[in-house]
Order: sequence, then C-alpha cells, then structure tokens
Amino acid sequence: MGRVDGERIIYWALPAVAVVWLAAFFLFPGFTPPMSPRSSPAQVAAFYRDHTAQVRYSMILFNWFCVALIPLLMLIVERMRDMAHRTPILRYCVIGVSGAAPIAFLTATIFWMCAAFRPDRAPELTQLYNDLAWITFTCGVPFLVALCLFLAVAIGLDQQDRPVFARWVATFNVVIAVALIPAAFAGLALSGPFAWNGFLSFWVKNVAIASWIVVMAVVVGRAMDRDHAGAEAAL
Amino acid sequence: MTISETALPATGAGSTRRVPGQPDMWFFVLFETLLFTAYLGVYLFNRTQHPVLFLHAQAQLHLWIGAVNTIILLTSSWVIARCVEEARAGRFRSALVKAYLTAACGVAFMGFKVSEWVVEIHAGNTFTSNDFFSYYYFLTAIHFIHLLIGFVFLGVLVYQLRSPQRRSQIMVETCATYWHTLDYLWILIFALLYVVR
Amino acid sequence: MKRPSVLEDPKRELWLAWYATIVFYNIYTIVFFILTRTQPPGKPWYGPEAVVGWFDGRHDGLLIGFALIFALGGLSATSIALITYSIRRMSVSRAFAYSYLILYAVSAVPGFLFICVVMTVGAMRPDRSPATQQWLYDLGFLSFSGTMGVFLVGSLIWMLAILLDKNGVFPKWFGYLNLCNALTEVVVAPSWIFHRGAFAWNGVIAWWIDVVVFGAYTGVFIYLLRSLILREDFGTGPLPDRPPSGPARVAEVAAS
Repeated sequence: MGRVDGERIIYWALPAVAVVWLAAFFLFPGFTPPMSPRSSPAQVAAFYRDHTAQVRYSMILFNWFCVALIPLLMLIVERMRDMAHRTPILRYCVIGVSGAAPIAFLTATIFWMCAAFRPDRAPELTQLYNDLAWITFTCGVPFLVALCLFLAVAIGLDQQDRPVFARWVATFNVVIAVALIPAAFAGLALSGPFAWNGFLSFWVKNVAIASWIVVMAVVVGRAMDRDHAGAEAAL
Repeated sequence: MTISETALPATGAGSTRRVPGQPDMWFFVLFETLLFTAYLGVYLFNRTQHPVLFLHAQAQLHLWIGAVNTIILLTSSWVIARCVEEARAGRFRSALVKAYLTAACGVAFMGFKVSEWVVEIHAGNTFTSNDFFSYYYFLTAIHFIHLLIGFVFLGVLVYQLRSPQRRSQIMVETCATYWHTLDYLWILIFALLYVVR
Repeated sequence: MKRPSVLEDPKRELWLAWYATIVFYNIYTIVFFILTRTQPPGKPWYGPEAVVGWFDGRHDGLLIGFALIFALGGLSATSIALITYSIRRMSVSRAFAYSYLILYAVSAVPGFLFICVVMTVGAMRPDRSPATQQWLYDLGFLSFSGTMGVFLVGSLIWMLAILLDKNGVFPKWFGYLNLCNALTEVVVAPSWIFHRGAFAWNGVIAWWIDVVVFGAYTGVFIYLLRSLILREDFGTGPLPDRPPSGPARVAEVAAS
C-alpha cells in the first residue's frame, strides 16, 4: 500500500468537476438536443451565429476541466498496486490510455470553439469545424474502450481473498466498453442510431461514460476507505 | 605498475574475437551503410533522369572545399587508428591526446561544412532550389548528424580512457569503428556528389 | 515440473499484453494498407480535383477502416506498457521508463487519432468543396507522417536505456537499431517542405525507405519482447538467458 496523503482531496474535488461538466453539457446548445449531421452549412452557420456565447462559454468550461478525469484515473491506478498482479504491466496500460483519452475531448472543444470564433465566416468552413468537433468527440472512444477492457482484465486477474474491486466491476467495465463501440462508427451515417446525434453514438455513449464515472468513483471511494484505514492503522 | 606500462587485456581470458570492438556496433554501421547506399542509389537514379540539370547544378559546388573535408576526415581516421594502437599498448595519455585530436578534426570538418552551406545559400542554392541541391543538402546534413553522433561516441571514448577503472579496449575499438564508418560514408558522398560528373 | 496452466502462469499478464500487441499491429496494418489504402500515402501534388477523386475511390474503406481503429486503437497501449516494463527491468533510473510511457501515450494522437478523424470527416461529405477536401487531405497525411518528435525522443530514450543497461535486457545492437529508428524521424522532416520527389510524404526516401526501417524495427522489438517474457524472472538483477526448450528441456526435467 502506498502513500495516501492528499488522495481524499482529489477524490472530493470530483463532485465539483462533475457539476462543472454537467453545467457545461447542458449549457452547450449543441447537446440538447444533439445537432444533426444532416444540417446544411447554412443551418450550421446559423446555429453558431445564434448561440455564439453559449457555445463559447460552455466549451471554455470543458476545455478547462476536460482533463480533470485524469486524477480519478490515477486514483484507480494507485488501487491497482494492491492487486495480485506479478508485474505493473496493467497499470502501465491504464496510464497509457489515460494520457490520450482526455486529449481527444480537448481537441473536440478546440474545434467547437473555432467554429464559434467567427460566426460570419463562410458556412462551409464553419460546417467543417463542426464536423471535426463532432467526429472527434463521438468517435474518439478507443482509449476509453481500452481503459475499460484493461480494468476488466486487471480485476479478473486480481485473484486474492479480498480483491481490490469486486467481480461485478469487471463485468460492468466490459458492458461499458461494448456500449462505447458503436460510437466509433458514427462517421458512417448521417442519420439514424449510429449518427453522431443518434441513439447509440450520442445517448448510449454519453450515458455509458457518465455511469462509468459515477460507478467507478463510488467503487474507488470504498477501496480508498480500506486503504486509508490500513494506512492509519499502520501508524 | 605505472599506468603507462599496463596494457589492457583484449577481452576475457583466452577468447578470440572475430571483429574489433562490439559486434553490435558492426551491426549498426553496416545497417547505416546500407541505408546510405540506398539514399545514394536514389540520388544516382534521379541523376540519370535529369543529367543536364544535375551536371549544371553540380558545377556550382566548390570542389576544393569537399576535397579539404575529405582530407580532414581521412586524417582523423588515421589519428583515431593510432589512438586505438596506443590504448592497446597501454599508453593512455597518448591515446587520450589522439582522441582529442580526432575531435578537433571533426570540428574542423564541421566548420568547413557549415561555411560551404553558407556560401551556397548566398549563391542562391538552397534546399528547395532544384533536385540536385535537395539531395546535396539532405546527404550532407544527414552525414553531419552522424558526425554529431560521432562526437557522442568520442565523448564515451574519452570518458573511458580518462579513468583507470573504466578503460575497456572493446569500447575504444567500438567508438573507433563508428568514426571510421563516418569517414567511409563521407568518401562515398564526396565521390558521388562532388567528383563524379 | 509441469508447466503452469495459463490461469496460474505468473507471466500471463505479460503474455496477454504481448498477444494484444500482435493483434493491434495486425489490425493497424490491415486497416491502413488494405482497407483504407492510406498507406502508401496519397500523392502530395494532387490538385483539389484529384483529391476529390482520391476520397471518392476510398469512401467506404476510409469510413469502415477508421471506425475499426476508433473502436480498437486503444490496444496500442499494450506494446507501450510492455516496453515501459522492459525499461523498468533494466538497471537504469525509472525516469527512462516513465518518460517513454508518457511520450508514447501521447503519440497515439498524431499516430492515429488525427488521421482517423480528418479522413473520416473528409469522406463523410463527398460534396464538400474540393479546396476543403484538399485541406483535410494535407492535414491527415502531414500530421500522420510528419509528426516526428514523440517517436524521435522516445526512441532515443529507449536507446539510451538499453546502451546503459547492465542487466542485459536487450542486446546492444537493438539499442543502435533504436537510433536508426530515431533517424527515420529526421529523414521524414523534408516531407513538410516538398510536394514531389524522394523527400515528399510519399517519396522513396521519406516514406518507402523509412517504412522499411520502421517495419524491421517493429518486427524486431516484438520478437525481443517475447524473448524478454520468456527469460523474465521478476527480479532486479541481470536477466537470465532463455530457458532451454526441446531436447535440452526434456533432459533437464529428467535429471531433476
């Protein structure tokens, strides 16, 4: 068991981050309801003209805090130290994808903000930024899929009397990974469930991510309680 | 035993080596030589496609600078070979001096090379001027980078020679092998870029 | 002594990562070379109309192929994790291992994310203006082939670790091969400058020769990682040699 000072602070910063994310999510007019890929350039340009301020401020919030998930991921990595693994290889896998995942989200916010920067530019160019943002946001799931699979494997291999995470957490991660995969195919359809505003690529994907954050936060919190109790007892 | 009288053992007791220095270094220099040969092959092929252009552009090069650089590198190869001999005979101070001399030759080469580039750029021949000059700058620049790497190996060589605990004839020979390869590659470049018309 | 079953084998997590690496590189190769045909790259000198034709000829392949990468590209982390582990096994400071891990974790962004996004956006609307399609085409290929820093510095870190290592985790010639790989990142630099010829992003020198070196390098390190796993003793000192296999193994078992 490693040093645990400060972990509680990171952990309890999470609800604050969650509030910011939710606020930004609902502030961004393009999410509720999600914009259609079938919109014409003129419609897209009109959207950015009519909602310039909301797009900018919500995306600024996202840009500030989209990487705020990394500390939670690192709390998970620290719990993985207590798993009955012979090598740190799965921790390295998790760290590896934790670096790239928020970058995808960050890049998407950049494209959305660029789209809103000059509302009177040629509509085709605004549509281009809009497309880049949506595809990056929707299809940028590979790192999250891999993260869930690595965690599932790590939990599955953690065969000891008191595993760090219960078995159902592994199953949950597999379910989330599967739920995220359809979003990878969003480029193939401009309408329907796979399109970036469709049921699978938008609703299932984002609900999956939100559930993952909530469930893993609770589960990590409990594991942390055990670790911290152990650390205090050792003092 | 004084330092100067202690000759270094070549390797572990009784074993014979097939190549001087680390065999791994031979793998590296052979691989790089193969790569350079490929690059030069591409250059030669392109030359056959545009003989007049290449001939005309080549005439803009200053042959004497290339020749001076060739002599400098050949000298440096001779000096580092002497350095290896001195190290093998246990005369480490002398070997160290020769290592520094080799480095000095390398610096001189760099000086002439950079001046040549400056001269050519002032004459209006840049990386993008025409096909010949893109090859010229590419080949000489990639060789220059290898020369910089050569300085790193010389640094390792000097570091090894300076302390009695670290001296290893294998390392000395390894670094010398690399430096000789640098010289060899330059001769190829000199021959094909400057001389052959 | 019977071999531990796969469920009890202490090396199972290493083997899982290694097989995942093989799967990843196969998917990557099939997607880029066969499904999307983005490698070998499109020609840099294509005018806007030619680019429209390029996207048109690859419409379905681009969308389906890159969707597969969007789904499974995260598996790239397994090879990075194995290499990080190999560096940790060496006698050098852990700074080398962590540097490598970060550098290559980030490399996924120019390594496939950019080109996947950009080419998907390009292919999904064939009615975009030709100039815009060419804009996307350039961005895709340049970001993919031309982003050099992470791989340059990453290879140098691994090279240095191997050459300094006293535990014999990898042979020294592989350390030098890392230098060769790092140099390919230097050789590709002119692709940002030239539209045609040997130094363009599809040129004989900047692409073909570089890919041969990179392909050889990748094949070699996958093989060496397997060798590492076979030799691994979970210790911190010099790595032992490969355990004997075949007749030597039978004799050893018979003698014990």
